[in-house]
Amino acid sequence: MVSKDFTIVNKQGLHMRPVQDFVKAMMKYSSEITIKFNGKDVNGKSIMLIMAACIKYGAQITVVCNGADEEAMLAEAAAMIESGFGED
Amino acid sequence: MLKGIGASQGYGIGRAVIIDDTPLDYSGVRYTTPDGEKARLDRAVEDFTKETAQQIAALKDSAGEKEALILEGHLTMLQDPFMLSQMKENIDGGSVAEAAADAVCNMFIDMFSGVEDEMMRQRASDIKDIRDSLLKLLLGVNSVAIEKVPAGSILVAKDFTPSMTSRINKENVAAIVTEIGGVTSHSAILARAMEIPAALSVPDATRVIRDGDELVVDGFKGEVFPTPDESLKADYAARQEKYLKDKAALAAFFDKPAKTKSGVVKQVYGNIGKAQDVENVLQNGGEGIGLFRTEFLFMDRDTAPTEEEQFEAYAAVARAMGEREVIIRTLDIGGDKAIDYLSIEKEENPFLGHRAIRYCLDHEELFKTQLRALLRAAACGNVKIMLPLVTTVDEIRAAKALLAVCRAELEKEGKPFKDAPVGVMIETPSAALISDLMAKEAAFFSIGTNDLTGYTMAVDRGNAKVKGLYDVFQPSVLRAIEMTIKNAGAAGIPVGMCGEAAADPRLIPSLVEWGLDEFSVTPTSILQTKKNICDCE
Repeated sequence: MVSKDFTIVNKQGLHMRPVQDFVKAMMKYSSEITIKFNGKDVNGKSIMLIMAACIKYGAQITVVCNGADEEAMLAEAAAMIESGFGED
Repeated sequence: MLKGIGASQGYGIGRAVIIDDTPLDYSGVRYTTPDGEKARLDRAVEDFTKETAQQIAALKDSAGEKEALILEGHLTMLQDPFMLSQMKENIDGGSVAEAAADAVCNMFIDMFSGVEDEMMRQRASDIKDIRDSLLKLLLGVNSVAIEKVPAGSILVAKDFTPSMTSRINKENVAAIVTEIGGVTSHSAILARAMEIPAALSVPDATRVIRDGDELVVDGFKGEVFPTPDESLKADYAARQEKYLKDKAALAAFFDKPAKTKSGVVKQVYGNIGKAQDVENVLQNGGEGIGLFRTEFLFMDRDTAPTEEEQFEAYAAVARAMGEREVIIRTLDIGGDKAIDYLSIEKEENPFLGHRAIRYCLDHEELFKTQLRALLRAAACGNVKIMLPLVTTVDEIRAAKALLAVCRAELEKEGKPFKDAPVGVMIETPSAALISDLMAKEAAFFSIGTNDLTGYTMAVDRGNAKVKGLYDVFQPSVLRAIEMTIKNAGAAGIPVGMCGEAAADPRLIPSLVEWGLDEFSVTPTSILQTKKNICDCE
């Protein structure tokens, strides 16, 4: 199991579009991904669950990947979150 | 009389058609096989996708692209692999396809209903819509034929989902009444787009009103009158006639200039607080933005907006307005507006304290971030910068010096920008009294009558005991206005007005006579103001 802490840098937060891209990327991996936010565990492969978590600009989250390809998965997740999903 | 919220203007008289959301009952559905149930679910999802695509096309025809996006969102949500696999898991666990879809959607509805973010809460009604559509498809139930209601119908429902509203034929619908929803709900947005009067959040509407009842609906006040008598009906019919007549008469001013009888052309602009309000200005025939308040960008958040965020907001407005003028006011805050991260001290007299331009000049980094964003946005359109609460000429000079520093920085960084003219908001007696001197440093004036009246009369309009003195028609206030306009005229700089008085039909003739160039009013007053100016000599 690997994990990393992040701060959300895109100003719109995790709204529909970034979540859509994120989930699509994460589906490529067999590992499980959990976003820890505000004391809750959110399935990182579900658009609806992530949107429902209301993760906004400036939010502190921890991403936990667990499985055979956990390292690569976390690396890609990190790249997406840190780049603000290509948004400002 | 039933009281709700007025969400779309106009008056409607007609017969109630109750849109009954009959509980979609699947208790009689028998479980086939896991694969059989999954195949039914897949077929329903496929049909839903097709139907929704058709509704999107219909919406684009009747109410515009923006509303169609809501339905496009439905398609995306139903593609959530977790959602579908969760439904299929429930099927494996012995649920019929209907129960599986119902349970999983309800789980998400609960989840979204509980969140604080209003935008996200709206998702709950999206998912309800998806759930009901899936259940209807699975059960083969025909939904109420909203598209086929007879002329003069008043639709009464608990709530209108986007797919329901997409089927409304606006020719036949006199009004809309719902039990839930506010002015920003889907129903309200669509009702306004289709120009159908609407009263929302009317408690128990679907139970109190019976199908076929005659109704009068007041979309301004949100009032619903069941079984009205003839005189009430006649009264509201007359009001509706007048409303439509006035609206049509004003619509004629949409692309007409505000030209007085003697041939002088004035500008009529709109005041906005958020970038998206620019749409209201354009829809109402506004010729520019006379006041873009930037405070809202700074409120309800934990840190100050970055240069990029501010740039995006200012540039969006500049781009939307194209060549037309956009006057953006720099941050106007003080001890009366609590913005925690700015740590503004509590003051004895916040209105006479460390606020607006005074605060900004003492917080250079904060001010520079805004000025840089403004200079960059200026490259995207016709932007002018306005300084609030100026009382001395030195304040203009200091702000302009800071602006020069910002220009040099941007130049060095190679970021595109354009110089923007710097004007002053005349809202203190001090500024009005030295407006001849101010005119030497300012590129334009804009008279803020709300504060100018308060400061000139030394009166707090919120204090009931003295608010009688708060009156723009007090001779001292009128003199301050006249003096400012004439000093601008003598110096040859443009002068506008962005307070409520700019839309006051009693004051407009004097403003025209004194030589005011630009009237900036709330977007819904633009057309009326144009008309009032056209009526002037």
